[in-house]
Amino acid sequence: MTSINIKEKLGYISKIVVNLLMVIFSITCIYPVIWMVYSSFKTQNEFNMDILSLPSSISLENYANALKTANFIKYSANSLFNAVIGVTAIIIIAIVTSYFISRFEFKGRKLIYGLFLGAMLIPIHSLLVPLFSIFNSIGLYNTRFTLIIPYITFGLPTTLFLTESFMNNLPKELDEAAAIDGCTLGRTIFTIIMPLCKPILITTGILSFVFIWNEYTFALTLLDSDKYKTISLGLAKFQGQYSSDYVTQMAGIVLATLPIIIIYLVFNKKIIEGMTAGAVKG
Amino acid sequence: MKTSTTLKPRKYQYFLYLGPGVLLYIFAVIIPILWALRYSFYNWSGGAKMDFVGLGNYIEIFKDPLFWKSLSNNLIVVGICLVGQVGIAIIIATLLSSKYIKGRQIHRSVVFFPTVLSAIVIGFIWVIMYNKDYGLLNWFLNTIGLKSLIYPWLDDPKKVIYSVSYPLIWQYIGYYAIILLAGMSNISSEVLESCEIDGAIGWRKLVYIIYPLLKPTIAICAMMSIAGNMKIFDNIMAMTNGGPGSSSTVLAIYAYKQSFTFFRFGYGSAVSIVMLLVSVVIISITKFSARGDNND
Repeated sequence: MTSINIKEKLGYISKIVVNLLMVIFSITCIYPVIWMVYSSFKTQNEFNMDILSLPSSISLENYANALKTANFIKYSANSLFNAVIGVTAIIIIAIVTSYFISRFEFKGRKLIYGLFLGAMLIPIHSLLVPLFSIFNSIGLYNTRFTLIIPYITFGLPTTLFLTESFMNNLPKELDEAAAIDGCTLGRTIFTIIMPLCKPILITTGILSFVFIWNEYTFALTLLDSDKYKTISLGLAKFQGQYSSDYVTQMAGIVLATLPIIIIYLVFNKKIIEGMTAGAVKG
Repeated sequence: MKTSTTLKPRKYQYFLYLGPGVLLYIFAVIIPILWALRYSFYNWSGGAKMDFVGLGNYIEIFKDPLFWKSLSNNLIVVGICLVGQVGIAIIIATLLSSKYIKGRQIHRSVVFFPTVLSAIVIGFIWVIMYNKDYGLLNWFLNTIGLKSLIYPWLDDPKKVIYSVSYPLIWQYIGYYAIILLAGMSNISSEVLESCEIDGAIGWRKLVYIIYPLLKPTIAICAMMSIAGNMKIFDNIMAMTNGGPGSSSTVLAIYAYKQSFTFFRFGYGSAVSIVMLLVSVVIISITKFSARGDNND
């Protein structure tokens, strides 16, 4: 009788302990960002007095400041431009390439697949000097389209991997039926297969967008003019200008991160699934 | 005849459909790697003048104390992050897999969140977190009475390399925890049930059954953590720019500065090649030792 009681109590205690530990850990994961978001609505004075308190009133001054001095709208537009073209190209190339790799046996099939996936392991910093000098010599350095090439190349592997595994699960009978009905190769890929791949295309599209929005190293190396600068570069420049004005810095960080936060709120399940798929499947 | 191309494409169709991707890859990855290799044998500052120096750059690298400093800094980051990221992730995954846990889905989404933030945003957040007067960290340590642990986080040349590693741990615990959690749920319920019948429950089940079966997943996480932190760059650039002095300079920052601050493109390329080799060697060792474990 007593031993059952003790067991019950132990179960009850471990239940509380496990949940408590997990809640504490989750808070440490997210609190710094929440702290930054609400602090960005405080005035510098209010923040200096008490760094932890919630803002007494919502002050948009920091945001006005940020938008006035650093052109966050322009930087965001540049990043959006790269992302729209980059994501579209990544998806089209990935669909076509995965279709060939998933459906046909041909010479060099393994080689092509291996090459693309190999790009995931290469430290991009090994490529910066040659990319810089090649881009420079063919007039691709510091243009509106400069970053799109590395972004497609390094966004492609993950997308290709996920799309290819997804396509392997689509029945081949579909292609055969399409062929009998007189569908050409292009039509089969783009009107039969692509719509069926929609779930994975949404996932990979989001992942590629996040990758391009967050990217910093290529932008730092291959761009020079302010008019082409991406949000990451813009943020870095802004942080330098406001090195002791923390609330304005925070407003800048929030502005640069807002799209990612919104996307994560809506699509977190898909993002988690997509980003861990490679490791989970081995 | 025409319909059959859908199931058996002609040769030109292979070129048409696969060509763009392959060409892009050759242009942006293969050629640059070969070029980096070529540049590494030259003394070159970007202009027309390129002096062939053979292995000169490589010899200089091995004589440069700053290179060794960057390498050892990089290995410190890799070591701390390996233990921190994967080690804590195992604990978190264990907690999350507990049948007692409430709101598992919300926890999953929350702990994963830092992973999607950009490296430089993480860097800037932590610069503020580390701030002497206005940072959350010092406030927290003050509040719980651990004032003695406070030091100038990003300004102490001896300790800065540790300070720049903690944000990396913070960012990626959730990522590895979710992967490990998936690995745990892949362990078949039959195995778990039969071990429960044999009396392995609670901690014993974890230590003798779950962790050993999780080894391949842990190895994958370890490999990704090592590979990721060998090429770490943005986070540290955002936090310290490699400083104070060179005390938080890692290989990628060293290569970047040699190339784009001092315009020593040949030398910078040689550093890049060394970096590539070091990464390959370390990944191979991890892969090899992980495989050895599995055969036992």
